[in-house]
Amino acid sequence: MTDHSASGGRSFLPPYLLERVASAGSDHQRECARQTLLVDQQFRARGGATALPPGSPERGVPARYVHSAEQRQVLPGRLVRREGEGDSGDPAVDEAYRGLGATYRLFWEAYERHSIDAEGMALLATVHYGRDYENAFWDGQQMVFGDGDGELFNRFTVALDIVAHELTHGVIQHEAALAYVGQSGALNESLCDVFGSLARQRELGQSVDEADWLIGKGLFTERVAGRALRSMARPGTAYDDPLLGRDPQPDHMDAFVETEADSGGVHINSGIPNRAFHLAAMALGGRAWERAGRIWYDTLVDRRLEQDSDFAAFAALTLDNAERRHGASSQEATAVREGWRRVGVLS
Amino acid sequence: MSQPPRLTPGSVVRLRREGGVAHFPGLSQPRCIRCDRYSEAQRDELWQLLSRAEAEAEAEAEAEAGRAPGADRRRFRLSVEDANGAASWAVAVAEEALPPGLIEWWRRAETQAENGSAP
Repeated sequence: MTDHSASGGRSFLPPYLLERVASAGSDHQRECARQTLLVDQQFRARGGATALPPGSPERGVPARYVHSAEQRQVLPGRLVRREGEGDSGDPAVDEAYRGLGATYRLFWEAYERHSIDAEGMALLATVHYGRDYENAFWDGQQMVFGDGDGELFNRFTVALDIVAHELTHGVIQHEAALAYVGQSGALNESLCDVFGSLARQRELGQSVDEADWLIGKGLFTERVAGRALRSMARPGTAYDDPLLGRDPQPDHMDAFVETEADSGGVHINSGIPNRAFHLAAMALGGRAWERAGRIWYDTLVDRRLEQDSDFAAFAALTLDNAERRHGASSQEATAVREGWRRVGVLS
Repeated sequence: MSQPPRLTPGSVVRLRREGGVAHFPGLSQPRCIRCDRYSEAQRDELWQLLSRAEAEAEAEAEAEAGRAPGADRRRFRLSVEDANGAASWAVAVAEEALPPGLIEWWRRAETQAENGSAP
C-alpha cells in the first residue's frame, strides 16, 4: 500500500481493536499491527495440500502428529510431538495432543470408530498458526489452530471441545459430507458441536446435569462480555459484547435466520439442532455420549444421510435410529421426537 | 470471473471477511473504501490488488477442484460499485490467498471509520 499519511494513516491494528483503540494503542497492539504488514504470502497455507503421514494400523490407538507453524501461515509446519512422545512443554502443542487423544477416545471407546476415516487416519494438527490469528479450522486434511490475539481471544487449543469440533469436521467429510451451506451446513456445524461437547463431557466425566453445554468456553479473554462461542442449552445467549455483537443463534425454527452470510448461516442456525440434541440428552439423563450421542452417531454414519439433507430429514433419521436401537415406544425414541418437536423441526 | 473495473473517484469498494469457527455479527460487517478519498495512484494500486485477488481466486478454484473444501475457514468477499451504487464486480477469495496489501486496505477501512470520517 502506498503512502496513506495524507488521509489519516496510522498503525494497522486488529480490526476489533480499531473500534475502541485510537492512536493510544499499547505496544503489544502496535506489534500486532506491524506483524500484519510482514506477512509473506509465500508462507501462506494452501488448504488441503499437505501429504498425510502414516496412520495407525492398531485399532484403539491413534496416530497423532502435532506441528507448530511458528507464527507463520504455513502447513503443516515443524513436527513437535508425535504419538507416544511426552509433553513438549509448549502448552498449545500439548493441549492439541491431549485434545486429539480425548476426541479419538470418544469415537473409539463410545462408537468403535478408528479415527477420522474409521481406518486409522493420521490426526494431523498445526498450532501457532499465523501471528495473533484468531480462528481454528479444518482444511480438508488437518486441523489448524491460531494463538488468538490475547486481547479478545485466547489460543484456540484451550478449549477441548474446539479441538474435537475441528476433528469432527473430518469425520463428517468421510461420511455424509454434509454440504457446507444452508441447513446441511448447519447440521454439519451442529454435529461438530455435539461431538465437541461430548468429548469434553466425557473427558471430565460429567453427567448431562453437570455439563455446561457451552462451546468454546475459555476462548474469550476477560475483556469480552460473554461465556463462550455458543450455548447448546440456550442458543443466542453465549455472548453480548460491544465488539463481537450479540450471539445470533436461534433456538427454534420460528426464528430461523435466512442469510447469505456465514455460508447461509451455518454457525447461526446450528443453534436449532444443537438445542434439539440438548433436549433429548437432558430427557434421557446420565451420560450424554452413551444414549443420545450414540443415536446421533448412528445418524452421522447412516448411509441415508445425504449431502444436502435438511433439518427435517436429519431429525427423521435420528428418530428412526432411536427406534431401531431401542424400540418405537422407547424412552429414547420419545426423547428424540420431543427434542425435535420442541425446536419446531418435527410436528 | 473477470478483472475488476477501473476505479474512478465515484467507485466504492466493499470488503467483507466471512466464516471462521463462529459467526460474530460485530466482526463480519462489510468495510467500505470510497475511492474519492484516494489519489489516482492509490486507486490504481487498489485496482492492482483487486486484480491479483481475482487471479488468486481463479487459481484457488483450480487448485481446490476435487479437493475437500474443509470447514470453519475464512473468506473475503470483495465487490466494486459504480458511482450509481450498482455492483459491477464481485469475487470471493480464501483468506490465505488474499494479497497482503489488500488486508491492509481492509484494516484501514475500519481505521478511518473509527476516526469518524467516511471510510
